[in-house]
Amino acid sequence: MKLDDAPVPNPVVVLREESDDWAILFNPDTSAAVGTNPVGVEIWKQADGTRSLRDIAATVARRFSNVPEGASGEVLSFADELARDGFFGVAEGAEG
Amino acid sequence: MSDGEKGGSAHGMRVIRTPRYVDVEITAACNQRCSYCYFFDNPEVPYHDLPLGEWLSFFEELGRCGVMRVTLQGGEPFMRGDLREVISGVVENRMRFAVLSNGTLIDDSMAAFIARTNRCDQVQVSVDGPCARIHDATRGRGSFDAAIAGLKRLQSHSIPVGVRVTISRHNVGHLEETARFLLEDLGLARFGTNSAGYIGTCRRHADELLLDPALHAEAMQALVRIAGRYPGRVLANAGPLADALTWRKMLDAAGCGAGTFDDGGRLTGCGCHFTTCAVRADGVIIPCVLLAHMEMGRINKDSLEAVWNNSPVLAELRSRSSIELKDFEYCRACLYSPYCTGSCPAMAYTQSRRVNAPSPDGCLRRFLDSGGRPEDIP
Ligand code: SF4
Ligand code: SF4
Repeated sequence: MKLDDAPVPNPVVVLREESDDWAILFNPDTSAAVGTNPVGVEIWKQADGTRSLRDIAATVARRFSNVPEGASGEVLSFADELARDGFFGVAEGAEG
Repeated sequence: MSDGEKGGSAHGMRVIRTPRYVDVEITAACNQRCSYCYFFDNPEVPYHDLPLGEWLSFFEELGRCGVMRVTLQGGEPFMRGDLREVISGVVENRMRFAVLSNGTLIDDSMAAFIARTNRCDQVQVSVDGPCARIHDATRGRGSFDAAIAGLKRLQSHSIPVGVRVTISRHNVGHLEETARFLLEDLGLARFGTNSAGYIGTCRRHADELLLDPALHAEAMQALVRIAGRYPGRVLANAGPLADALTWRKMLDAAGCGAGTFDDGGRLTGCGCHFTTCAVRADGVIIPCVLLAHMEMGRINKDSLEAVWNNSPVLAELRSRSSIELKDFEYCRACLYSPYCTGSCPAMAYTQSRRVNAPSPDGCLRRFLDSGGRPEDIP
């Protein structure tokens, strides 16, 4: 994925917020599961097909004191991982 | 942001917000009456079914809770004429499913339906021997041929098939042929084993079914030999193979005076109450299908999330791990207590009426005190 891409969550994916610091994204079609922390949960919740990864990274940096402003690389690699496992698609023609 | 392995952390002491897995006894009806059945003949349980609508409402709640897998069991799930609608309810609420079955009622169109859902983790079929004579001795005439036909229909639709072999006096002498039949003739990837336990209908047939120490030793030796021949293809969570692997480690540790095992010396034998709960056919929420008398609430009346987080029954089961084995008289002088977990609370209950006690079934000292020898454990 690229920073200007606006990821679209696969609607079949289930977000299980298991505790304050732990969640699982589960794709029942493939059995794939990704464990994640509250930052990953925020990225997942922000992704609605209209927000670009650049915008999402900025929001995450604002909301989490432990995420530095230049963390877009980490957001990108998390989004890549989710796209690879079928959790994310990309909105056609999204401007970001 | 992601951590693929950390998902297992909830198996420890932390209580997650909702269960990941729910075992559902979708019917109390069964076309067989197996002599070792754990399900029937429990005087503390009423046996009746709920209408489809109740289950569909409950599956919506499970979907909202983010439950990942429902295991449909019974009784015999394929007795339900509306099983397709039941399964569709699971699938529509973004869950996967498994089915535990005797295999005898699975026709081709049902197998095709299950395959089309693309959400089935496995259909587990009980097979207790390599031929009708041995299998039917505990499960009833005609059941072997029907079960194998059902199993082959599942295979023909590429549905993952699991097989569970329940070991009793009837098949303990035939484990080699059973393994060959399942792994070579039927081409299964693997099969699971356990043994008949003193619960349900089995209590009425205990003398005919349960393994004495000599037969238990025979089963342990055969299964360890078979597991060595088919690496990774013979599994066990309980029963002779699990006992052999656990007890050998305990004997070796005691022999060299090793320190306490991480999970040893306390009642740590069941961690399922941190991830899984169950529902009886009549809609009563219980911690495990083998602890069917421990009522925690009722579906569509009590919130599952509230039951999961506030039930005193679950709190009691989850706190078992703080109970020391040394608090039990029989364990106090036991050489093996630093390495022992006390095993399954349900089997403890059926034999002692106490959940918070070690199970006699998994007890190494009892095996040795009743005639078993250390050299019997491979
Ligand atoms: S007596 Fe049995 S249950 Fe108790 S600690 Fe020893 S082996 Fe475990
Ligand atoms: S109570 Fe026993 S049968 Fe039930 S989940 Fe725990 S170990 Fe398994």
